[in-house]
Amino acid sequence: MENIALKASGITKYFYDPVKMQVLKDINMEVIKGEFVSIVGKSGCGKSTLLYILSTMDTDYEGTLTINGENTTGQSLNNLARIRNESIGFVFQFHYLLPDFSCLKNVMIPALRLGKLSPKEIEAAAYEKLKMFGVEDQALKKAGKLSGGQQQRVAIARALINNPAIIMGDEPTGNLDSKNTGIVFDLFMQLSKEYGQTLITVTHDEDFAKRSDRIIEMADGEIKRIAGNNGNKSQNNK
Amino acid sequence: MKISVNTEIALTYLSSRKKQTVVASMGVMFGISMFIFMQSLMKGTNDYFEKMSFTNTPHIRIFNENKVADNHMLRSFINDQSEKILTNPKQLAQSPGITNPYGIIDQIRRNPKIAAVTPQVTGNVIYTSGSVELPGNVAGVEIDEEDKMFDVQTNMISGNLHDLNRVHNSILIGKGIAEKLSLHTGDNLTVRAGNGNMLVMRVVGVFSTTVKQLDETKSYANISTVQSLAGKDRSYVTEIKVNLVNYNDAPAVARDLETITGYKSEDWVKANEQLKAAFKVRAIILNSVIGVILLVAGFGIYNILNMTIYEKIKEIAILKAQGFSGRAVTSIFLQQAIYIGLMGGIIGLIVGFSLTFMVSRIYIGAGTLKYLPMSFHPPHYIQALTFGIITTIAAGFFPARKASKVDPVTIIRG
Repeated sequence: MENIALKASGITKYFYDPVKMQVLKDINMEVIKGEFVSIVGKSGCGKSTLLYILSTMDTDYEGTLTINGENTTGQSLNNLARIRNESIGFVFQFHYLLPDFSCLKNVMIPALRLGKLSPKEIEAAAYEKLKMFGVEDQALKKAGKLSGGQQQRVAIARALINNPAIIMGDEPTGNLDSKNTGIVFDLFMQLSKEYGQTLITVTHDEDFAKRSDRIIEMADGEIKRIAGNNGNKSQNNK
Repeated sequence: MKISVNTEIALTYLSSRKKQTVVASMGVMFGISMFIFMQSLMKGTNDYFEKMSFTNTPHIRIFNENKVADNHMLRSFINDQSEKILTNPKQLAQSPGITNPYGIIDQIRRNPKIAAVTPQVTGNVIYTSGSVELPGNVAGVEIDEEDKMFDVQTNMISGNLHDLNRVHNSILIGKGIAEKLSLHTGDNLTVRAGNGNMLVMRVVGVFSTTVKQLDETKSYANISTVQSLAGKDRSYVTEIKVNLVNYNDAPAVARDLETITGYKSEDWVKANEQLKAAFKVRAIILNSVIGVILLVAGFGIYNILNMTIYEKIKEIAILKAQGFSGRAVTSIFLQQAIYIGLMGGIIGLIVGFSLTFMVSRIYIGAGTLKYLPMSFHPPHYIQALTFGIITTIAAGFFPARKASKVDPVTIIRG
């Protein structure tokens, strides 16, 4: 059990507006540490809704969720914020950097919030992450001044700054052209393969999904099919 | 010093929207500088009028007042168990003098709260010069003591008040008397007392208070001169004037003196009730004006923070996704309000002081009032800053709470 990063059991959710509708029906899933999981499915199948529940941001659901061995269901919002800060990194479709801050600051903010390291150490770590994604020369520019691809790379660096147990992506390549999609995708692969990072991504991108360890295909609020990608997995476990 | 990440974000938000920050703090600045200016003006004028009232009334006056007849005489006359009832009691005229005045003066001088005590003999007189007669009253005083208590010297427009001690049968007259009787320093004036005694006195000086009625009736003479004019001996004193170290103690000390001496003792607060009422009315007007100004400034901050929150709602959601708790978000936005308040407040203190200083240099020149009386009272500045900060916190609280309640899922998913 110790190598389980995330475990969800019996997740059920309803939307009440405009009419009561069940969007998730008894979802059970486990993600092993170091695994790269893609959640795919048509629009409206509930895959994003599921991701936001897994991320602890959405608390209005039935069932239980455990992250890194810690039960998160029913925790106070402040506690959940701390858990997110420590254990979860986010990459969104629209990069969502804070435009008034420099790229470096954007990367540093979650770590400053966590407050485990001194600002100097955090700055060094942030530089290292930016370097890893080849955007260290943009570090002192305002985030709003960067191109979309660069911003997404900064956003990924930011997601990694606290060495979270899990990185979650909501269509991380959805807003990028094919060249930048390739770059971001390679970064994700690199994180998974070289750094053994746990990744859960919601995506429309077939190619992206195919190269991950496992594909969870959803339809009408249920898991329709779980497809392991053995080639990748063996590589991962070697 | 380690700056917390909340503070850093708050400061970045403020500095990236400089114009709005400046406008919001200008509102606070205006409120606070007006607060200081108005308070300084009010305290200055109040102090001035209080001081003015002390130029002709002492902090406490002890005098003999007519009493209502009671039944104690009746009781000693018919000494039995019956209940005596006096119907329709009348006022009993008391002799206007105070018995053993110097004994009383010696006794009350020992009280450490008392700064000065001086006896006075007041007599109603008629001033006559040629064929013109003018009613008035003469105050028999020890002029050096009187000067110490009421600063008579500053009111002198001609002559020398110390001549009162040097020249036999001398008198200081008000400006109004001098004009009405065409008198100048060195002229002679006939003064007739109510008992028919007449005295020709030499005018050794003319004074002018700002009160016309006083100038037209009042004169000063030596206490012994007035005693002899009244046909009384040297122990005849009609009132004792008392000044205190702190004039705010007057009501309490007056009560004590009344018990000790058995004579009526009236404090300046009672003697100047209309002055106190005017102070109160002015305080109400002033505080409502300041309240409105601060309220408007508060709404300005509220508005600007609210706009910021609408504009930054996605960023707030992102911060929350990254693990900023509701409390941290509240802190970020409340801090913005506090910095706006502090910035506006400190500039407001400086502007308020400069304004007060500038106005205190405006020449008025009415009566003895040369410049606008402004007070430079440190507690006003502390109060102003406190009120300013409280207003900004109150104004920032609601937007900040709203920001803390932003649901990241709804915002990020759109």
